[in-house]
Amino acid sequence: MRNVMTIAGKELRGFFASPMGWIVMGLFALLFGYFFLAHLDYFVTSSMQAQQGGGPVNVNQAMIRPLLQNVALINLFLLPMITMRAYAEEKRSGTIELLLTSPVTDTQIILGKFLGVLGFYAALLGVTMIYIGILFVFGNPEMRPVVTGYLGLLLMGGCFLAVGLFISSTTKNQVVAGAATFVTFLLLWIISWLGQSAGPTAARVLDYLSIVWHFDDFGKGVIDTKHVIYYLSFITFGLFLTLKSVDTERWRG
Amino acid sequence: MIEVQHLTKRYGPFTAVDDVSFRAERGEILGLLGPNGAGKTTTMRVLTGYMPATEGTATVAGYDVFTKPLEAKRKTGYLPETPPLYPDMTVREYLTFVAKLKLPATVSKTERVSRVNGVMAKTHIVDMANRHCSKLSKGYKQRVGLAQALIHEPEVLILDEPTAGLDPKQIIEVRDLIRSLAGDHTVVLSTHILPEVSQTCHRVVIINRGRVVAVDTPDNLTRQLKGSATLYVQVDAGGTDAAPALSALPGVRQVSELDRHEQMVGFEIAADMDRDIRRDVARLVVGSGWGLLELRPLRLSLEDIFLQLTTDESQTQPPMAGAPPDAGPASPFDGAQGDAADAASESEATPNA
Repeated sequence: MRNVMTIAGKELRGFFASPMGWIVMGLFALLFGYFFLAHLDYFVTSSMQAQQGGGPVNVNQAMIRPLLQNVALINLFLLPMITMRAYAEEKRSGTIELLLTSPVTDTQIILGKFLGVLGFYAALLGVTMIYIGILFVFGNPEMRPVVTGYLGLLLMGGCFLAVGLFISSTTKNQVVAGAATFVTFLLLWIISWLGQSAGPTAARVLDYLSIVWHFDDFGKGVIDTKHVIYYLSFITFGLFLTLKSVDTERWRG
Repeated sequence: MIEVQHLTKRYGPFTAVDDVSFRAERGEILGLLGPNGAGKTTTMRVLTGYMPATEGTATVAGYDVFTKPLEAKRKTGYLPETPPLYPDMTVREYLTFVAKLKLPATVSKTERVSRVNGVMAKTHIVDMANRHCSKLSKGYKQRVGLAQALIHEPEVLILDEPTAGLDPKQIIEVRDLIRSLAGDHTVVLSTHILPEVSQTCHRVVIINRGRVVAVDTPDNLTRQLKGSATLYVQVDAGGTDAAPALSALPGVRQVSELDRHEQMVGFEIAADMDRDIRRDVARLVVGSGWGLLELRPLRLSLEDIFLQLTTDESQTQPPMAGAPPDAGPASPFDGAQGDAADAASESEATPNA
C-alpha cells in the first residue's frame, strides 16, 4: 500500500509541478464557469417566469443536475490530457525502467498511477465546488443530490481514467494516446445512439454500456447499486487491461 | 552473487541473446564488452527483472529474477543507459521518491533522509540537490542516476554504459567512483569502450551477436592471445631506409613501416616471443646515426583481441597495418570522436593506404 501511495503521490505532484496540470485545471474551471453562467442565466429567467405564474422552480432540478451532467462533456475533452502522459511519457523518457526494476509489483504501479490521476481529477472537481458553493450561499439547494452527483462524477471519471491509462500504456507517443483516448471516450458516450433504431432489447443493452447513461440517477440523488457496480467493474476492467498491457510489453521487450 | 545460465532472449524471430552464461563473485567488477547491438543491454534488462528471458535462468544474490522478482530487485541497483530521471523533480525530490520506492517500509523517515544525503555526498551532487533534473548537465544526470541505483545499498549494481556521453574528466570520476564501490557491491557494467574494461574491470565477458566469445581477466586475455612481441621504433629522416637493416637483426620476423612524415619514420617490428630485441634495435639505430625518436613495446591491446574474437569467421579482414597501433583511448568503437581522430591520423600517416 505504501508503494501505491508513493507512486500516486509522484503522479499527483507531477501535475502540479508542471504547467500542464495548472493549465488543464484553468481550462476546466473556465469551461465549468461558462456552463455555470449559462445555466444560472437560464435558471434566473425561468424562475422569474415562474413568479408570474407556473409552478415553482427547483434549483437542484433546473440548475445543479444539468450542470453536473455537463461535467461529463468537459471530461470528454480534458481527461485524455490527464491520462495520455501517464505511461507514454514514462516509456518515452525511460523512467519506466526505474519503476519496473524497483521492488514494486506491476499492480502497485498501476494502482498508484490510477489513484494519482484520480486525485488530480478530484482536485478538478474540487474547483467546481466553489461554484456550487455560491449556490448554497445565495440559495437553498438540497444537499443530497449534490453529494451523490459528485460521487457519480468521480465514478464516471474513474472509468474514463482507467480506459485512458490503458491506452496510454500501449504507446510511447502522447499524441497518439491522447487522440485514441478521446475517440474511445466519445464512442463510449454515444454508443447508445445506435439503440434507437436497433430495437428495444438492443437499445437497453447499448444504453447500459454507455458510460454517461449511468450517471443520470446519481444526478437525481439516487445511488443505485446497479450503476455503482457498473462503474466499479468498468474501472477494474480498465485497470486489468492496463496490467496485461504492461505485462505483454515486458515479454515483447 | 550473480549467476546467469543459458540465458536466451528472442524478440520474435530475432535472437538478441543466445545461450549466455557467466557469473560474478561478490565484490567483483565484471565488464560486459561488445559492439553496439551485441545484447549487453538485453542481458542487463533480464538481470534487473525489467524483462523476462525466453530461456535460461538468472540469479541475483541468490534469488531467481523471474520467480522471486521483488527479492532480487531489492538487492539490485540499476542504472539504465539513459538515467531514468523525472524532469520536473529536483534532485532531492527525485532521490526521496526512489528511496521510498526501494527501501523497505520499516525504514524510518530520518533514516531515509540520511540515505538520500549519503548517496548525494558519495556521488558528489550535493550542490545540485535543489536543481531540477531537467536542468542538469549530462554528467550530473549520470551521477544522479548512479545515486538512484545506490540508494538502497544494493549488493549488486548493474550499470549500462555508465560513462557514455561524458567528457574525459567526468569519465575518470565515474570510473573512480565505480572502482571505489567494488568492495561492498558486485558490479556488472557494460561498455563498448575497450580501455574502460582494462582500467575498471576485474573480469571481462566479451559478447558478440548475443553470444559469449570469451570470459577472462583483461590481463589473461591479453597474454593468451599475444602471438609475438612487437616493438615500435621511430627514427628521424636519416633512417628512412632502415627497414632492411632492422629485418637483418637476429630474432626479427617482420618489419613494416607504420608512418612516415618529413622528419621521421616509424616501424613496427615483430620479433620472437622469447627474445628481447630492444637493445639490439637501439644499438643499431644509434650506431647508424639515424637519431632515435621513440622506442616502445607494442602490446596486443584488448582492441586487437576483441577484433580477433569478433571477426573470426571473416579471415579476409585486411591487416590493421594502417592504424596507429595502441593509439590510447581512441578505439574503433569509441564513438564519433574517436573514429574521426583515427581516420584523420590514419590518412595523415599513410598517404599510400
